[in-house]
Amino acid sequence: MDVPRVARCVPGVEAIEALGEDRYRGLLRISVGPIRLALAGEVAVTLKDEAAGIAGMRATAADKGAGGAVSADLRIEVRDGARPGTSELQITTDAQVMGRIGEFGQPIIKRKADQTMSEFAANLARAVAGAGAA
Amino acid sequence: MIAPYELHAPATAREALELLARHGEDAHLMAGGTSLVLLMKQGLVRPAHVVSLHRVGELRGITRSAEGWLEIGALATHREIERSPLVRAHCPMLAEAFAKIATVRIRNQATLGGNLAHADPAQDPPPALIVLAAEVLVLGPRGARAIPVEELSTDIFATSLGPGELIVGVRVPPLPAGARATYLKYLPRTEDDYATVSVAAAAVVGPDGTLPHVRIALGAVGPTPIRARSAEDALRGQRLDERLIAWAAALAAEATDPLDDARGSAGYKREMARVFTARALRALTGARP
Repeated sequence: MDVPRVARCVPGVEAIEALGEDRYRGLLRISVGPIRLALAGEVAVTLKDEAAGIAGMRATAADKGAGGAVSADLRIEVRDGARPGTSELQITTDAQVMGRIGEFGQPIIKRKADQTMSEFAANLARAVAGAGAA
Repeated sequence: MIAPYELHAPATAREALELLARHGEDAHLMAGGTSLVLLMKQGLVRPAHVVSLHRVGELRGITRSAEGWLEIGALATHREIERSPLVRAHCPMLAEAFAKIATVRIRNQATLGGNLAHADPAQDPPPALIVLAAEVLVLGPRGARAIPVEELSTDIFATSLGPGELIVGVRVPPLPAGARATYLKYLPRTEDDYATVSVAAAAVVGPDGTLPHVRIALGAVGPTPIRARSAEDALRGQRLDERLIAWAAALAAEATDPLDDARGSAGYKREMARVFTARALRALTGARP
């Protein structure tokens, strides 16, 4: 599994670097109006079942300036689609926001996370489709 | 702890615009500072340059034009608008909406322009100004323009203001003759809280009970304040009765996209949007809410 390539499908991800043993270090930039967060953290692959088409990842990241942290569990699943010759991509996330960022607005971050995830899903689907065609 | 920044205090709007042009994304305007300073203390906003507008006298004041438009400077505080004899005489609903914001201490400090630029969807002035068809007056690198308040907020904390633009004030046209207006704010927790939902409505009720003019806007029901256009369309030209009120209120609730938070779940807020839209419409007819 190409984690840096998957990670680059998340809007705002910069500088993904492999640490070995299925762990990676990266930076995610998020902006909501005038608010800019630079979440630096790690991604660990927690589940990899290529035969079943399932991958799990856990990401934890913190913003130095704001004194807050985000953690997210991610499950990516590829299944046969309803029509023959198609595939269905399902991404499930469970994210937590802690510290000042969370205080300022769990719901706002949640909405931003939803936007980020739907863009991620669209980018990932495009990347996978592109690779299939190549 | 606030990260270090350079404070600028221009004396004119033109100087403020020059500072914005010079420092670009590194600069942030500050009016009353009630929101910005909190965000800076929390480290969520870290501008290298803060352009404080407190010396810019031309952004102050509340006047009324010969055509009956109220012109409110961006630096007018919430308290000044609440207590302004001009606003109270010519647009009492607006004075009432400002009187419902937070506490007197905050209203003495927070400004109209700052409120609109901050674009928090739960704030009180935007829905009130939207039903009044008010416009935001903006000055920027390409000159002056007016943006309907309805089109200002584009997302949570985001506006249609361009880079380097500055809100100089708001102008509020007179309501059509015979119009009534109301602003309801639902506060299930404390009196000084943000709204769980808020509803502003304005209408002319004709002698036969029909509505030739109606506008409805809601706050705290999604990422931006919204205008309930489908509800307005259902009401316009019709005779207002309980059945129509119930229908319009349901349409207004359908137009919402609330967020779950400590002030209520999304489903609860949607239901309260329905209840408070109905109450606002009853208030316009003079019936008991």
